[in-house]
Amino acid sequence: MNADVSQFAKAKGSDTVRATTWGLLATAALIGGIFIGSRGMRDFDPALVSYAGATLFAAFGLGYRFSMWLRRPPTRLYWYRGWQLFLTPGSFWKNLGHLFEIFLSNFVLQRFIERRSHMRWTAHWFLAWGCLMAGAITFPLSFGWIHFETGRSSQDIYRAFLFGIPVGQFPVHSVIAELAFNALDIAAVMVLIGVFSALWRRGRDHGAMAVQQFANDLMPLILLFAICVTGLFLTASTHLMNGLHYTFLSQLHAITVIITLVYLPFGKFFHVFQRPAQLGVDFYKRAGREGEQAVCIRCELPYGSRMQMDDLKRVQEALHIHYQLLDGTHYQDVCPKCRRRNLALMQDNMWKSTRIESERS
Amino acid sequence: MAKLSADIPKLVEHFGPSLSRIPAGGWADTREDDKLVKTHCCFCGQQCGIQLRVRENKIIGFEPWEDFPFNRGKLCPKGVKRYMQDEHPDRLKSPLQRVQDKGFVPVGWDAALDRVVSEIRRIQETYGKDSFAILTGASLTNEKAYLMGKFARVALQTANIDYNGRLCMVSAGTASKKVFGIDRSGNPWSDIVAADVILVAGANIAECAPITTDYIWRARDRGAKLIVIDPRMTPIARNADLYIPVRPGGDIGVFNGMLHVMIKRGWIDQDYISKHTIGFEEVARTVEKYTPEYAARIAGVPASMIVRAAELFGPAKTSFVMHARGIEHHSKGVENCIAMMSLALATGRLGREGCGYAMITGQGNGQGGREQGQKCDQLPGNRKIDDPEARRYIAGVWDVPESSIPGKGLSAVPLMEAIHSGKIKGLISICFNPVVSLPDANFTREALGKLEFYTAIDFFLSETAQHADIVLAGSLMEEDEGTTTNVEGRVIRHRKVVSPPEGAWEDWKILLELARRLGKGNKFDYAGPREIFDELRVASKGSVSDYYGMTWDRIDENNGLFWPCPSLDHPGTPRLYEDGKFGHPDGKAHFIPVEWRPSVEMPDEEYPIILTTGRVVSHFLSGTQTRRIGALVDQTSEPFCEMHPQLATKLGIADCDFVKVESRRGHVVVHAKVVKTIRPDTVFVPYHWPHDRSANNMTIRALDPQSEIPEFKICAVRVMKAERPIDPIAKLEVQAGGIR
Amino acid sequence: MTNGEFFIDYSRCIGCEACVQACGECDTHRGVSMIHLETIERRDSVQTAPQICMHCEDPICAQVCPADAIKKTPDGVVQSSLKPRCIGCSNCVMSCPFGVPKYQIDIDQMMKCDMCYDRTSVGKKPMCATVCPSGALTFTTMQDIQRTRQGVPVNEWRFGVEIVRTKVYVMVPKEVTRVDVDLVQIATTAAALPPDPYDVALMLES
Repeated sequence: MNADVSQFAKAKGSDTVRATTWGLLATAALIGGIFIGSRGMRDFDPALVSYAGATLFAAFGLGYRFSMWLRRPPTRLYWYRGWQLFLTPGSFWKNLGHLFEIFLSNFVLQRFIERRSHMRWTAHWFLAWGCLMAGAITFPLSFGWIHFETGRSSQDIYRAFLFGIPVGQFPVHSVIAELAFNALDIAAVMVLIGVFSALWRRGRDHGAMAVQQFANDLMPLILLFAICVTGLFLTASTHLMNGLHYTFLSQLHAITVIITLVYLPFGKFFHVFQRPAQLGVDFYKRAGREGEQAVCIRCELPYGSRMQMDDLKRVQEALHIHYQLLDGTHYQDVCPKCRRRNLALMQDNMWKSTRIESERS
Repeated sequence: MAKLSADIPKLVEHFGPSLSRIPAGGWADTREDDKLVKTHCCFCGQQCGIQLRVRENKIIGFEPWEDFPFNRGKLCPKGVKRYMQDEHPDRLKSPLQRVQDKGFVPVGWDAALDRVVSEIRRIQETYGKDSFAILTGASLTNEKAYLMGKFARVALQTANIDYNGRLCMVSAGTASKKVFGIDRSGNPWSDIVAADVILVAGANIAECAPITTDYIWRARDRGAKLIVIDPRMTPIARNADLYIPVRPGGDIGVFNGMLHVMIKRGWIDQDYISKHTIGFEEVARTVEKYTPEYAARIAGVPASMIVRAAELFGPAKTSFVMHARGIEHHSKGVENCIAMMSLALATGRLGREGCGYAMITGQGNGQGGREQGQKCDQLPGNRKIDDPEARRYIAGVWDVPESSIPGKGLSAVPLMEAIHSGKIKGLISICFNPVVSLPDANFTREALGKLEFYTAIDFFLSETAQHADIVLAGSLMEEDEGTTTNVEGRVIRHRKVVSPPEGAWEDWKILLELARRLGKGNKFDYAGPREIFDELRVASKGSVSDYYGMTWDRIDENNGLFWPCPSLDHPGTPRLYEDGKFGHPDGKAHFIPVEWRPSVEMPDEEYPIILTTGRVVSHFLSGTQTRRIGALVDQTSEPFCEMHPQLATKLGIADCDFVKVESRRGHVVVHAKVVKTIRPDTVFVPYHWPHDRSANNMTIRALDPQSEIPEFKICAVRVMKAERPIDPIAKLEVQAGGIR
Repeated sequence: MTNGEFFIDYSRCIGCEACVQACGECDTHRGVSMIHLETIERRDSVQTAPQICMHCEDPICAQVCPADAIKKTPDGVVQSSLKPRCIGCSNCVMSCPFGVPKYQIDIDQMMKCDMCYDRTSVGKKPMCATVCPSGALTFTTMQDIQRTRQGVPVNEWRFGVEIVRTKVYVMVPKEVTRVDVDLVQIATTAAALPPDPYDVALMLES
């Protein structure tokens, strides 16, 4: 299995050219998707064109960034290893089952965050699911993939179309309708709960305050806050204020969304695409545990998976990190504990030798 | 009746020791508006400065206090985690009354105090005043130590009060008084840094006085040489210029041998000796026969080491000599110290910068605790209780007839023996856990069972307090205020950081209330510790340890003051013996010849191995506090038996095996720790644990005739491989005496 | 202590673990200790040594991270992994030349010493270096260390042919300019020493 992975660690060709290509490909794919999904733009809502445009830019950015990221030797190796292990003949169904487990606990419930802190989990869960819900509605809407029409027979019936195909209808004054029309408001409230929980934590936790950065940690929260508030204002304007300042508000809302979409590939939100791409690490760790163990050349105790140590040597080579020791052994084959002990022994011995020498002289 | 009221597992279930792992309020982060209170660590004699972090009257963390000159923010793990004893689930929050077969039930203060007072009255009326005894501790503040002494002599009028400093500082103190005329380390710690050679004997500084390491390492940065004398290679011995693995009890061999070589090679200061000392000739005559070869046989080390020690120490320009329990816990502890002091004295390297002598106090107030009159033979101000002038003066301070002050009482071990033999029928204890800390623990347990009435003042139910009839819920160091005197003789201030929990009282308040109920309220009329300190100042006035010139405010302003400080404008005395002036009436230091003699119990065919005992860095004394702090228990969870691979091989023991260590008096089963860093004829077991894990099950009740310190550092044992114990005690949590 | 630098001197360590206990009191990871305290080989010696993050100029842990989760602050402090990114693969744990990062199994994330960023970023000393009784861990100015210590602070290391420069300095004898790392064992630390430098029994025989 190890025979041909060396190449994975080393990417060939110019990074930017490749990344640009991937970015353009992603954009083209999305344009194609919009065109086909909206039945040759028939279902496309021109009012939402700015959203779709920003999304196209985001698609380019994500493609570009994703490709650049995959050019990094360790990322690249893990990416291939993940697929390789996932697609191993004979364990595919087992792997699929495991993937479902990970999906449920890490994605749906986000248990791993809960273990870090409840407050962090609360914030993240509301943010994540609020955003996902909103995204699931607005992206297809702005792409013209779904649209609504009033019933031909009755003004009181709403019909929903997906890719131009009718998928259902419901009365205007029904619970379903209320839910459907206010789904974005519900999402906004969820996101706001998340934003406030996150801000509360970040404003009180001395440790978080020490390491957080404005651009990376606070900016995303501010953006989400702006989207939600302007979005909720739109609803308020419609239902409570007879459409007061509606046009202005909708433009304001559009601006906040567009800024966020443009920010998407470069800031903290990139992790939304990054993390799922690395679910393969779970298979890697499992294979590591079950496979051959590496034995430390200094203490002769096992300390990790042989596969990982060998892969690391490849990654290090690609990164021009040279751990080969002078006696022919490899520093990667020394366990972390022994590295620490060895350093201390060496340094202590320098002093001992100096003392002995000064005593002699 | 002071037998256990329930079996140990049941008592442990209700009162611990259980572990505190999370601070009050959880692992919350710090906040700007948290209150930081500058105070001191409650543990060892170094009394490091520390700031405790308080939120809503709860101690939730700490912050180093870098401006305090002694430790400059440095702390050992005990200091770091000491705050975890606050808000502890085991904390006693009301008086307890024993109920046979049930353990303890909470009882109101009035009922508890009335019961104590009526028992005191009954026992003293039936058996005489001295039949009611008091055992106190050297981790009490000066104010409480003073109060305890006065309470014994004025409220109870019993002669029998002694303290656990008897297990700690008395050999060093007695020797220091005899040789220098003053019982205190001669120098501030800053003098260590200026020394060219440092001689450390019987002091595991890295574990028992960790902050002192900093001073020694700083001296070495200047190029100082370090000599360490210890049967075990301790962490500071590992990098010493000379390490002498002395046989336990063989220290006099090293000291007299060194002096022998130094005299022969002319490395003594004749001028200083003739001007400032008396008695040198006799010492010189005594050490005449301690040739390196002769001395080496006593010390159990190669003669070349003794010569080398003399070569390093003798010609140095400045030197610092330090010792601790390793040479003091012997039936010849005083003599060991005297022999070591002679080295400093003969070179005249005392009382100036970089030249000095120090004993490393072990307990929180190891220094102050022995000055305020809670020793069986002392009145406040280090005054002898049989000195008529001292008695008159103190009687005046206390406003009692001189004749009402009892004479010399029994020291800790004889006092326990008197309990065992039925002479003493009642006992009050505070800050003392003799079941764990006295030698021959089985004897101690038996003795406690014979008391007619026993009351303990404690904040946790210690293994000794488990035997009590009434337990009075007292206070932690940080719940009260007062002063202690640190290892250097620096008097420092402990601030009240939080109030005791509802239902527990400050210790001094308990004593005042008892005194009032005993009809002596007018002699104990204090509004608080500050007033007690003011009386203590007067009581110590004119004495060797004169605190008269100190006030709490002055102590605060100066980051502590060194005694003697006789007047309000006196700056205190960081360094003693300057210009060769000593504490004896003749102003001179007194050389005293000492000869080596064997310890009381030497190894023989039946018990062929030497057992020596001591401490580990993460625990303090009998462990009442540190065995309740999770992080410290994790660091060292169980006692162990350290032995050399040679010995282990001979006995067929491998590392981590269960071993039974057995003396004529008792045994423990612990894990073996096979290490090359101990003499092959000696094993070591640390003593912080109770019951079947108590090193003091084996130790001998042999005392130094002068200081009456027990011989903790040497007794004869045999060691054998054992099976994993499965009795109910072994199954307890490790901090309660179990084993894993 | 605005110009403070971190200096480590393994040889001074007395193994008291004050650093281990204090590390868990740092706000960025309160309750979890990030520092390592190694007992080198207890059977042979009482030697112990702390290991904090050395904060490499070009951190290998960050280079080998597939998730790009390890970042250095502008002032040169290598932070714990970014929580949204770290996938708990342990590449950093296995690659760090100093054996520093810790994989926290319960939260599936790598955490490491961040030089008490909550403290050092506001001019305070790190917890471990403040409490360390032996000075094995010291946070002070370059001038102060040069004035008070023997030897020199060095921050260049060689592992095989890999040269690593670190923000944290190690104290070494004067003639040393770089720490060239070879594999050593306690019994073979130097030709100048007997085969068992700390065996008390051998000392008694000599």
